[in-house]
Amino acid sequence: MAYILQQLLTKSAKAYPDKPAVWARGKSITYGELDQRSNQLAHFLRERGIQKGDRVGLFFPKCVESIVSMLGVLKAGGVYVPLDPQAPADRVGYIIANCGIRILITNSEKRSALAPETADTLECCLLTEGEGKGSDQLAWAELDKYPSSHPPAVTLVESDLAYILYTSGSTGRPKGVMLTHQNALTFVEWCAEEFQVRSEDRLSNHAPLHFDLSVFDVYNTLEAGATLYMITEELALFPTSLANFIEAQQITIWYSVPSALMLLLLHGRLTAEKLKSLRIILFAGEVFPMKYLRQLAEISTTSELYNLYGPTETNVCTYYKVERERLASLDKLPIGIACANTECFSVTPEGRLAAKGEAGELYVRGPSVTYGYWADPEKTKKMVVPNHFQENFEEKMYRTGDIVTVGEDGNYYFQGRRDSQIKSRGYRIELGEIESALLSHPEVREAAVLAIPDEVIGNRIRAVVVPHVAGSLTTVVLQQYCASRVPKYMIPELIDLYSELPKTSTGKIDRVKLAAEPAGVR
Amino acid sequence: MIEQAAIKDQIRAYVLEEFAQPKGKATITDEENLTKEGIIDSMGIFRLVAFLEETFKVRVGDEEITHDNLESVDAIERLVLSKSKK
Repeated sequence: MAYILQQLLTKSAKAYPDKPAVWARGKSITYGELDQRSNQLAHFLRERGIQKGDRVGLFFPKCVESIVSMLGVLKAGGVYVPLDPQAPADRVGYIIANCGIRILITNSEKRSALAPETADTLECCLLTEGEGKGSDQLAWAELDKYPSSHPPAVTLVESDLAYILYTSGSTGRPKGVMLTHQNALTFVEWCAEEFQVRSEDRLSNHAPLHFDLSVFDVYNTLEAGATLYMITEELALFPTSLANFIEAQQITIWYSVPSALMLLLLHGRLTAEKLKSLRIILFAGEVFPMKYLRQLAEISTTSELYNLYGPTETNVCTYYKVERERLASLDKLPIGIACANTECFSVTPEGRLAAKGEAGELYVRGPSVTYGYWADPEKTKKMVVPNHFQENFEEKMYRTGDIVTVGEDGNYYFQGRRDSQIKSRGYRIELGEIESALLSHPEVREAAVLAIPDEVIGNRIRAVVVPHVAGSLTTVVLQQYCASRVPKYMIPELIDLYSELPKTSTGKIDRVKLAAEPAGVR
Repeated sequence: MIEQAAIKDQIRAYVLEEFAQPKGKATITDEENLTKEGIIDSMGIFRLVAFLEETFKVRVGDEEITHDNLESVDAIERLVLSKSKK
């Protein structure tokens, strides 16, 4: 039985050495090659000084080398940190500094997009594409000279860190969720059992690799000896091309955010024929509107549909297998019941367990729960808290911040957030992080960021900004400023310039009043 | 019929104002890939198509909304010209 992630690859490489493991951008790699190449990368990293627990960044668009890199870092005993290839240099630089990345796997284009002060802190870059330059920018072919038959000898246990995923942070900077081999494997093993993933399966990888949905795609493929079909950032934009891709590659298991499925439904010219190969469709990350879920169920008659729920800190903690016979009468999709080896509680503000039908915050305990946030013990203490329902020994549980109720059917139902975190296209966004970005502009006196609910993408983002001097700022200037600080999906689509913000009697920004005013009125 | 140069100018101005500038890019070239770096996102593609249909009185079918047809200002111009000739 596997207790560290790379054992999933070792096992499948023995069973299926010549079978394609990963396909991306028209190129594929077999299990044997993936095993050997990741061994070589691991030896390279060890030679470059990577020790157990050291962080290695991955900063390049999705390709076959992404998976080689993840496994190579793990085999070296390291911790990989996938960076959003579309993130601004400032944010990438922050993450590199925050978790102390000294070796970055990237390509020459992305390497040159780094801020000079970030590049200076790196000891070396390994380039998946492009020519090497000196001793600190090495070409991929450099790996050829390292041993391929075995990984370096490193002792790892399941509680060692495997990867760090950065998500939006309410105080203005992203926070790194630390995940162990055990955290990931708890989820992967549950999925393998529940979805019966087999070696004949062909899994899609729609989510970016810095997004936790990709953990299922990558590791359940390796676990089963199946094949992973990576959907590039460009392909994901074009619904008809994507629908054709599903058909051409005969995808059997699909996993994405609901908004990606909605775009396919609205513009993909979907037919039952095109989706015939799919046996399982999984979605997570945001609420799937019933109207579109019913359409999907109608077109894809052969597949089982699952709503998966869980923040990055627990990966997935509850699931709901869509009951087709209930679809017509259900007005809200449940998030379901706890996954195996995971326990969920709904806790009232007074700290007791919520009764049936009563709203409470969802808490999670079990081996899938994170240790907390990299180098942020304060934030960790707030979110990963002692389990006060357990008196006999110390144990932690994670507070999700999600308000839920338990329905008559025994399922959890998501009701909202207890803070200002929102979802847009499945991305988790702290409105406070955008406000901090706006407020750091020297001309900005006050800023409030609001979410405008949107049927397809979940939420659109609107900002209201008060400049120090009227007329000194424009929407475009502020959007460009945000673009240098936050990822593109967090840049406010609408920015209104006000001379002052409405306030409550206690002097706080009156967000209710602001939200009630249509955009662009003042 | 609108002049060819005018078509390109209108496309470029729209892409710059609607997509590039709000995503922090002050300029774009006609060959620049608009999809790779996330300048146009998944919802943006459909705003762009609505703009093309409205401005140039053409009809763009879902099956024509592809990377090859929309990846750059040059590609978009080619798409519009091929349609308005019909």
